Amino acid sequence: MSNGVRNKTKYRISSVVTMVFLILMVLFAAVPLLQVLLNSFKTDRECKTSPLGLPTEWAFNNYGETWQIGGYATAYFNSLLTAFVVIAVVLVVVGLGAYALTKLQFKLRGFFTAYFFVAISLPSFLYIVPDYFVMNKLGLVDTRWSLMIVYTAIQIPFNMLLLRTFLAGIPRELEEAAKIDGCNELNSLLRITLPIAKPMFLTVAILVFVNVWNEFLWSNTFITREELKLVATRYVRFTGEYGMNMARIYTASVITIAPVVILYLFFSRRFIEGMTSGSVKG
Amino acid sequence: MKIKKQNIIPYLFILPAFVIHACIVTVPAFSTLIMSLFDWNGMGNAKFIGMDNFKEIFRDPLVKLSVIHNIEWLLVFITIPLILGFVVAILVSRLRRSQMFFRTVYFIPYVISAAVAGRIWMAYMNPYYGVNQVFGQMGWEKLAKTLWLGNPKIALFAVAFVDNWHWWGFIMVLFLGALQQVDSTLYEAARVDGANRFQELLHVSIPGIRQTIAFVLIMTIMWSFLTFDYVYIMTNGGPANATEIMATYIYKNAFVKYRAGYANALCVIQSGICIILYFLQKYISKKGGMEDE
Repeated sequence: MSNGVRNKTKYRISSVVTMVFLILMVLFAAVPLLQVLLNSFKTDRECKTSPLGLPTEWAFNNYGETWQIGGYATAYFNSLLTAFVVIAVVLVVVGLGAYALTKLQFKLRGFFTAYFFVAISLPSFLYIVPDYFVMNKLGLVDTRWSLMIVYTAIQIPFNMLLLRTFLAGIPRELEEAAKIDGCNELNSLLRITLPIAKPMFLTVAILVFVNVWNEFLWSNTFITREELKLVATRYVRFTGEYGMNMARIYTASVITIAPVVILYLFFSRRFIEGMTSGSVKG
Repeated sequence: MKIKKQNIIPYLFILPAFVIHACIVTVPAFSTLIMSLFDWNGMGNAKFIGMDNFKEIFRDPLVKLSVIHNIEWLLVFITIPLILGFVVAILVSRLRRSQMFFRTVYFIPYVISAAVAGRIWMAYMNPYYGVNQVFGQMGWEKLAKTLWLGNPKIALFAVAFVDNWHWWGFIMVLFLGALQQVDSTLYEAARVDGANRFQELLHVSIPGIRQTIAFVLIMTIMWSFLTFDYVYIMTNGGPANATEIMATYIYKNAFVKYRAGYANALCVIQSGICIILYFLQKYISKKGGMEDE
């Protein structure tokens, strides 16, 4: 065998091994989730006797039952309402703030930028205890307000810096031109920056939505009334109560993660870029 | 008049975000520092006891046990997902068309709620109805009888396995993103010099992403001391405190035993470790020439 051929075979073998390995990792990531989807179409008995593999007979009653018994209509409503309020407030305050940090000159700009950089690093456990007891005193625990307020605050620093990076990429000349035409700052933000930055605001909105939808620690602590629980905490409670009915656990899992997974499949690039930004740069 | 107006506008823009955040996060964070010096149940009057909470922490055997578990957790997370993520990132970065596909699939577990991922794996690890059933049918008696979450010796690692399942794809995407930013002319230069794949990796890829490696290392250490969700959901510190970590122990003290003062002191220690590491990371990446601003 000549050297070239041997190298070629060697190359082929290594690329086949690579592919096999990468596909095994795909299975590792995806099969546990696909199996959940499959199990949600099995009867409870089958979930228990053969938890892996396709259903032998497809059961379609799990979804209706789980949705009903789990009170998912209410939980979905609570999560969506909370998410939309948080998204709206975060977009407004972070939009204004990031605009000021990138486009406006003022004395404390450096201070505020540094503040949000430090703020990202503060762990939840450093303030959850006082937040809980203060809100308890104000009667906000076990109301929707508590989570809306807390989530908004928690989401601010990361999204502020994310949007700041985005907005820094828009040339200042555009806003300058608008101002020469007689726009004030707010108008130039709304008429010039916002239309250009729309996709960036969409990324922020998606990230905030996913964080609110998935969040567990705060909603588990602040909400005990069933009718106010968000999807994730409702799910944990439900799977605790019906711990012996495996079909319901699998079905409830699908109901709980479906919106995020669907959103992810549509916007996977935004998810990945948004969630990993701030770690590669800054 | 006009100049004054100009000066005020930036503050009007930035203050809403700042005020909301300061009220909910920063001010309470400072109050945690102060309240760690008090004996307080969260409701009644707080009694100033100086450093007594901290003295108790150093005597508390459960704190010691929790810290040991956090360190074990750290040892798992600083090796397995990093190596796995790195190797896969290198392999995927050499692909062309299928790169996006692999990236998208590997990242899926990361976008799913920890609550759901934890419960799904609890179902799989159920001693009677989970994968043990399958192991039994295959005749693997020893595996079929393993109590993944019930055996104190392996429970922590079973939970760590699940957290890894969710976590490694994120690390992989971080490394992949960094690898793509390595100047491609460096690879060409290496090839001209006759470097093989391994030398390329050692002399071009790894130095090219060293800031990301430093970031991931330090963040892993930080997150290992903060981790909460998976342990709380899957075992809540049990069985017999075999998976008790700092975060679950703090949570129990604050919201189950209502020992808010003691919990605050624990938070101070936990956050202290993390904040020091955070600034260490910032310092190292600045030294490495990474642009922050």
